[in-house]
Amino acid sequence: MSRPVQALLTRLEEIVGGARVLTDPEALATRQVDHLRPSAIIQPADAAQTAEVLRFAAGEKLALVPCGGGTKLGIGAPPERYDLALDLSRMNHVLAYDPRDLTLGVEPGMRIENLLRTLSEQKQFLPLAVPFSDRATIGGIVAANSSSPLRHSYGGVRDYCLGMEFVTGEGVISKGGGRVVKNVTGYDLHKLLIGSLGTLAVITRVNFRTFPLPPAQGTFVASFSDAEPAFSFCHAVGESVLAPQIIEVADPGTAHLLFSAETPARIEPQQWSVIITAAGQSSVVDRHARELGRMASAADAIELVPLTDKETSSILARIREFPRLILEAAPAAAIFRIGVLPTAMPFLLGQLSKLAAQNHLDLATLTRASGIVFAAFLPKEENTAPSADLAKAANEVFHACGKPEISASAMLEWCPAEVKRAVGNVWGPPRKDFALMQRVKNVFDPQNVLSPGRFAGGI
Amino acid sequence: MQPKLIRELVALLGPKAVLSQPEDLMLYEYDGSVELGAPECIVLPSSTREVAEIARLARLYATPLVGRGAGTGLSGGAIARNGGIVIVFSRMNRILEIDGANQRAVVQPGVVNLDLSRAVEHLGLYFAPDPSSQKSCTIGGNVAENSGGPHTLAYGVTTNHVTGLELVLSDGEVVRIGGKTVETLGYDLDGLFVGSEGTLALVTEITVRLSRKPEAVKTLLAVYETLDDTTESVVDITVRAITPAACEMLDGFTLRAVEDFVHAGFPKDCAAVLLIEVEGLTEAVEAQAAEITEVCRLHHAREVRVARDDRERDLLWKGRKNAFGALGRLSPMYYVQDGVIPRTRLPETLRCITEVACKYDLQIGNIFHAGDGNLHPLILFDERDRAQFERVIAAGNEIMKHCIAVGGALTGEHGVGMEKNELMPLMFTPDDLALMQRVRAAFNPTGLLNPGKVLPLGKGCGEIRVLPPPASASTPA
Ligand SMILES: Cc1cc2nc3c(=O)[nH]c(=O)nc-3n(C[C@H](O)[C@H](O)[C@H](O)COP(=O)(O)OP(=O)(O)OC[C@H]3O[C@@H](n4cnc5c(N)ncnc54)[C@H](O)[C@@H]3O)c2cc1C
Repeated sequence: MSRPVQALLTRLEEIVGGARVLTDPEALATRQVDHLRPSAIIQPADAAQTAEVLRFAAGEKLALVPCGGGTKLGIGAPPERYDLALDLSRMNHVLAYDPRDLTLGVEPGMRIENLLRTLSEQKQFLPLAVPFSDRATIGGIVAANSSSPLRHSYGGVRDYCLGMEFVTGEGVISKGGGRVVKNVTGYDLHKLLIGSLGTLAVITRVNFRTFPLPPAQGTFVASFSDAEPAFSFCHAVGESVLAPQIIEVADPGTAHLLFSAETPARIEPQQWSVIITAAGQSSVVDRHARELGRMASAADAIELVPLTDKETSSILARIREFPRLILEAAPAAAIFRIGVLPTAMPFLLGQLSKLAAQNHLDLATLTRASGIVFAAFLPKEENTAPSADLAKAANEVFHACGKPEISASAMLEWCPAEVKRAVGNVWGPPRKDFALMQRVKNVFDPQNVLSPGRFAGGI
Repeated sequence: MQPKLIRELVALLGPKAVLSQPEDLMLYEYDGSVELGAPECIVLPSSTREVAEIARLARLYATPLVGRGAGTGLSGGAIARNGGIVIVFSRMNRILEIDGANQRAVVQPGVVNLDLSRAVEHLGLYFAPDPSSQKSCTIGGNVAENSGGPHTLAYGVTTNHVTGLELVLSDGEVVRIGGKTVETLGYDLDGLFVGSEGTLALVTEITVRLSRKPEAVKTLLAVYETLDDTTESVVDITVRAITPAACEMLDGFTLRAVEDFVHAGFPKDCAAVLLIEVEGLTEAVEAQAAEITEVCRLHHAREVRVARDDRERDLLWKGRKNAFGALGRLSPMYYVQDGVIPRTRLPETLRCITEVACKYDLQIGNIFHAGDGNLHPLILFDERDRAQFERVIAAGNEIMKHCIAVGGALTGEHGVGMEKNELMPLMFTPDDLALMQRVRAAFNPTGLLNPGKVLPLGKGCGEIRVLPPPASASTPA
């Protein structure tokens, strides 16, 4: 901060109230991003206060990182500057919920767990089975475009987010989209904020369409000796008339994590596992059970195990919390999020496993069959200085993803700050469309107030 | 238009791909809307490179450039409001790649919507967005308008099915955004460009997601004696969280016109029908159809009929998809609106439309995507009757205001174009609009790409800020 800090804080206190500007070191530590700590945490009550804070920050050339539960502050490149944490956790209300119309408007600080509870009272839900579900907030989930296994059947956030209200880097309250389930009025500016990691605007309201909870659900685990047959099975399911809700593929490294605790002894965690959930009328679930059994044996599955309800919720919770499980087991792990075509998955996973071995790392992958691979590289226990190995592997992953036979788009989503530095760029090599993104940034946040440097292309 | 520009275009594209005779130009003065505007030159490029060169020339000569697919748009999007060049994509109509295993196709913008579905039919796939105009409208047009259709109720509109685009920017630069994968890095530029109505860039290639055809389909026709019963059924289907693949409503007035035209088998003596389709696994379809039938009966449907076979089903859909045309036979012109409302507000909204028709002494047919609250009141008129046309506009605005008042939107799928741009302030604040304006200026700084569309022309908006060409315009970096 340029001006004497106290003068700035006084002004901020005038905007949000004295008790809403936090400066004690313990609180600041919770908002640390990589090695940077903010000078203060500001907790606005609404969009109007948020706008005023932003106008002030822009005038003073302060850098500000919006945050909610603080679970994903490590995603992205290290910010160039970081003066204030804009903590939206006070803005945690449902603003409009019309269960009859299946639409919802919610503030960014609302925790997903609480929101899902409210929706379930009406037998509805949002397909956001996302990590850190006890702390993650709507704003953070949307800004990080958190991935959910339910993407397979419901699409990503962009597919069920109807509109947003937000505050630009210049402190202007604005909006895009709307509240109804179909709408093409004006530019879809709100879509730009999905996955923008707080670099364009501060989200102050998100409108969603909600979905009915299916009356019945059944989960099945098919195990395979190798990746090839596991993916052929997925492919066969994809080409069939079946419409599962979730299809995930866990490699042996991940299966180990998923199936450890209350796992049925029947599932062999040394294998490749395909986890499939079917949902709908019970007759629909039964039909899946029958046909999946047939397809699994045709694909040389070792077995297909139906899970009990209790096993299902345990395993789906673990799938949801995948990055967290990895980071708890190995805080120094590096986790990639890779968008890839289904046909390229087996080859990509083969390459990743080679890279892991060459760099003395363990590998655990979880694959959304619709096109996303989460690949965690874990330092082996005996490795005392893993950052260099992780960084080397990371750059090789970027290189591999750029090969025409893979053509995947990879980002290093989770890793320790020193690995970030060693890798150079968690967003991988530059792409031509980054220049267009820069134009968008210049419109939304011309003063570069919001999370400077965190985003792709140095935005 | 400067003759030198036309000469340069001819040199670039050949004489057959450049039209500038008045009788040729006349064909491109209108689209599916009630708007008009005279272009000065038509060009028919056959490659991205040509499109880029055209964009460069347009910029150099400070001439407006308007993209056009099949010209079926209903908001005047393809009309050269300020003259200039209309760039017609009909020659760029090749399907470049079909990747069945990954359920993707890469197409040029001039590919006709239905042609893509036909080309992938043998793989059990199809392109889900199905505007009623799908036999003629192009995928480039669909992308520009973010078009929907009856079945987008369950499957989403165009933006939900596009993963990548090749763009020609206003200075002729060619850029790819997104890709084939479900996720790519960075801001969702696809999300911004799809639905931008040709005002941010020209689209020269589109990567789309293909969907798998369902195992079973059931088409139901529910027949009602009152409008209220019909709309209450839609509300109840929504409230019970049943999502059919399609839920279309046709009122009695429309039905009679359609029946006389298409002979689809619609009853002519009822207040309205719902045309509902359920799709999926046989088991799911049976269950849903039973539930929907129960709801319709509860709301006094006189009859709930299930199409016996594909023939009957196709006929019902033919009736639906030709409804605009059928009403068009009743009067010289029609004006279709496209407002959206929360679905639970349907009964009062249709009552409002009936009152508006009465108040302004107009005939309004209703034929629309009821399941997602996307209205299409179709107001009949005779353009020679100026006084009547003014009443049409007033009636339209009144309906629109109602939609916004109940929390809805101006347009669900037809786009803003030059028809609703002045209504934008009903939904957006000056700040919202200023931000959109700046986004446009970031990609279309000269304002030459499709001028006069989407945003209100109003004061100070810098709408038609046709700048003199920069010295470097012909040699972009
Ligand atoms: C009878 C009838 C029924 C209809 N039913 C529906 C329906 O159910 N759902 C629905 O959503 N719409 C419907 N429409 C509207 C219309 O068909 C759609 O908007 C369609 O997507 C337009 O496609 P087009 O090829 O005709 O585009 P055009 O009308 O030629 O152009 C539409 C817009 O796209 C822009 N454009 C075209 N190509 C490009 C390109 N390559 N790059 C950049 N911009 C481009 C134009 O500038 C213009 O702004 C209907 C229209 C009619 C006449």
